[in-house]
Amino acid sequence: MTTEEKPFPVHISRSNISTEKNRTGTWRFVRPGYHEKTAPCSRACPAGEDIARIEMLAGRGMYPAAWETIMRENPFPAICGRVCFHPCEGVCNRAEMDTPVAIHHLERFIGDTALREGYPVPHPFYGDEAELARRSAINKRIAIAGAGPAGLSAAYFLTRLGFACEVFEADTEPGGVLRWGIPWYRLPEDVLKIEISRIIDMGVRIHCKQPVTREFLKEARKEFDAVFMGCGHGRSVSLRIPGEEYAADGLLFLHTARDSRPPRAQGTAAVIGGGNTAIDVSRTLVRLGAEPMILYRRRREDMPAFDHEIEMALEEGIALKELAAPVRIEAADGGYDITVQRMKFAGMETETGRGRMVPDGDRTEVIHVDQVFSAIGGEPGENWYTPPQESDRVLHLNHCAFTEADLPTVYGGDLTNPVKSAADAIASGKEAAVVLDTFFREGRGAILERVNACRIGSGPSLSMEIYLGGERRKRDVHIVGYDEINTDYFFPAERSAPSVLPMTKRVEGFSEVEGDLPPDAATAEAQRCFNCGICNECDNCRLYCPEVAIYMDGTRCINLDYCKGCGICVEECPRSAMSLEEEKI
Amino acid sequence: MKAVIEGSHAVSEAVRMARVQVMSAYPITPQTHIVEALSEYVSEGRMDAKFICVESEHSAMAAVIGAASGGVRTFTASSSHGLALMHELLHWSAAARLPIVMAEVNRALGPGWNIWMDQTDSLAQRDTGWIQLYCEDGQEVFDTTLQAYRLAEMVNLPVMVVLDAFFLSHTYEPVDLPDQETVDRFLPEFVPKIHLDAADPCAMSQMAPPGVYMEMRHNIQQGMEQVPRAFAELEDSFETVFNRRYGMLEPVRCEDADVILVVTGTAASTCRQVVADLRAAGEKVGMVKLKMFRPFPLQAVRDVLGGARKVAVLDRNFSFGASGIFAQEIRAALCNQPGHPPVFGYIAGLGGRDITPATLEKIYRMTREAGAPEQESVWIFNDQ
Repeated sequence: MTTEEKPFPVHISRSNISTEKNRTGTWRFVRPGYHEKTAPCSRACPAGEDIARIEMLAGRGMYPAAWETIMRENPFPAICGRVCFHPCEGVCNRAEMDTPVAIHHLERFIGDTALREGYPVPHPFYGDEAELARRSAINKRIAIAGAGPAGLSAAYFLTRLGFACEVFEADTEPGGVLRWGIPWYRLPEDVLKIEISRIIDMGVRIHCKQPVTREFLKEARKEFDAVFMGCGHGRSVSLRIPGEEYAADGLLFLHTARDSRPPRAQGTAAVIGGGNTAIDVSRTLVRLGAEPMILYRRRREDMPAFDHEIEMALEEGIALKELAAPVRIEAADGGYDITVQRMKFAGMETETGRGRMVPDGDRTEVIHVDQVFSAIGGEPGENWYTPPQESDRVLHLNHCAFTEADLPTVYGGDLTNPVKSAADAIASGKEAAVVLDTFFREGRGAILERVNACRIGSGPSLSMEIYLGGERRKRDVHIVGYDEINTDYFFPAERSAPSVLPMTKRVEGFSEVEGDLPPDAATAEAQRCFNCGICNECDNCRLYCPEVAIYMDGTRCINLDYCKGCGICVEECPRSAMSLEEEKI
Repeated sequence: MKAVIEGSHAVSEAVRMARVQVMSAYPITPQTHIVEALSEYVSEGRMDAKFICVESEHSAMAAVIGAASGGVRTFTASSSHGLALMHELLHWSAAARLPIVMAEVNRALGPGWNIWMDQTDSLAQRDTGWIQLYCEDGQEVFDTTLQAYRLAEMVNLPVMVVLDAFFLSHTYEPVDLPDQETVDRFLPEFVPKIHLDAADPCAMSQMAPPGVYMEMRHNIQQGMEQVPRAFAELEDSFETVFNRRYGMLEPVRCEDADVILVVTGTAASTCRQVVADLRAAGEKVGMVKLKMFRPFPLQAVRDVLGGARKVAVLDRNFSFGASGIFAQEIRAALCNQPGHPPVFGYIAGLGGRDITPATLEKIYRMTREAGAPEQESVWIFNDQ
């Protein structure tokens, strides 16, 4: 007899009574819940993009969905993926673990993928044609002054809300600063054209060579129900020093450089200023064969230009002379002598957070160059392009100002934005759309409440998705911090970087400097995102629940008969998409 | 195919060829090499198994208990303090009747901190319901690990394969490694007697009130009582496939011996040489290598030691306030035998100290000269 032939009994205690008999829910004094929160990046994004969700979708290779998520908040993904100064990355929680997620490069990747594949613009009401028809029945027409990023965004969002928009542009082509102020090596023309053509395809009429005059506005009153003023900086601020007439206008120079036949430049050049225009002028000069030097009256850390751009400029061999304030320009030896007052640091300005400079005694020097460019900032082409200052009937918002005066008017773009950037211009166009939509549907009194309701994380950026009652409105305004991320679920991973044109190739022409991320690198990069505060359906909550109290019924549900409030689901949520709250007794 | 490998890796190789499905372990010297190799097998895809990383030995055993309850073949390994930390779950796994196999590398417990050879860690777990098998060399480690699965699955009790720290775990020796097909002939696919089944849901290891608890404990002992026969049977089949067998204990030249030395682990190898040398010098000495400690092979011990004039037990362990643990067990096995030999207990080689041929020879001579044991244990601090 062997043991196989006659198995002996094995006694263990076992029960077939279901543990469902034990209603462990009665033990609970705290209750878990799915409670999505706000990612710091999305609050920092002037355009209010739902970045945590965009990266979640991109990480799964769902590029059309990722692109649509951008397009709900920003009509220019491929443009912003190139020119945005990406404040999102500055607040990325991932920086505390290794380096921020390359949100900027990912936006470009998604934007370019859409250009290549021809993704259709997502329906504003998720396919609900009746809703669009109902809204269009309001039959309001909006005149938009300026086809820059602010005006075009206003046209995009207003059209999606059912308004009929016409854009009036003084220049020969639409795009504003994107077309005339940003050189080709940062934003190739075809990218700009395709993203603008999408807006035209939506039925927006753009009238070029049509400057906005007082007469035009008078006429507009007959045809239009409201105006958006997005005129931008029409001219450069003058130097106000003796010999200023010798300095060429930096903005104008960039404008001509983006013509089909760019100007020639050679010899040495001084570029006066510290903003993005000064950098763009200098980098353009290098490409045209000149040797530029930037003269700036403060220090490098005080320069309003985006840091990344300054770095690129220095890499390209552009000299930067800090603490140098030009006081006089004279013609000399076929070129110009610039007399420069040396400055010194004298503490911080409390208002701007920049350094305050004072003349360093009588130290001066004379710099001889072949050309001089002025790029110290722009100002409106006409004073009345900005909102009336004195009037208390003007409603000032973060990115625009509204007045009902004769014709309801929203002032936006660079002339009202505290930060002059493409993303802020988009924010302005979006805010204008929210303001006008609310004004026509509910009256002026409702504007502030509506705008406040669609702020992201109580910040200055607005979400159109929230305004239209999308899922995103359910998120708590609480900003997820690094300490709320369960870092056990994340591992250090190298940030993906796009290819950069070698220096020799860069300075010999206007080819785009940065390349796209390769698809594999983009997916891997998107997967680095913590997806702060949003559920990516990792299912940890359900898998870890010791009472099997979480179940799927379309979405994840908690069976409160058995949830004992242990909080394991909340603890194991890698991204703080759940919270515990005390039971109300 | 013969390969020169570490004792630790003899375990790892056997576990791989046993087609273990779930492993969990926490590293501790001198066990770590075993699970390091296994985790590499898994990551390299050489083993179709899950390796669950945990934060303690307590969790490691808990994880394999969970996996074994699901009806898969499981493995863990530990040593010394790690094994001590598992203690609660050693009771649990045995009483839950789960055929878990563990490699236990004998190592001293601190303080003073000591990572070397000492048997007290495994012997302190003798009442947990685990079968314990002690090994002498790398080949025996490999073979015993395969046998352990067969045995555990026959009687539904967990098995501890015990090997000496460093003397065995870290020593490279030639080991005959069979191919997978040969191992499969000896060790069939695991068919669990106990496993969770979603189609027939149940709760296991429930409350067992006084009315049933005692029967359950008795059933564990009945399982233990099955072991000698089950072991003999699996060794028959092992011998058919591999042409080797070990027995629960191995007597060497005991037939006419006046003094029989009882040894375990790698000390048995040294002792084989000492017995041969002494026999050559005309001494009537024999030895018993004890392989199985739980269940204690009572009858086999009585049969082989009952007729000797004197028995000398070498303990590389100690039960404070009593004596060497193997000596205790052998005294207990013999005490009801009329005319049984006196049992001399010796303590040597604690905390990694060498047991040399001179140590064993000294023990033999002390036993031969003594009339009757004067104390339960004599501590042999050096071989002079």
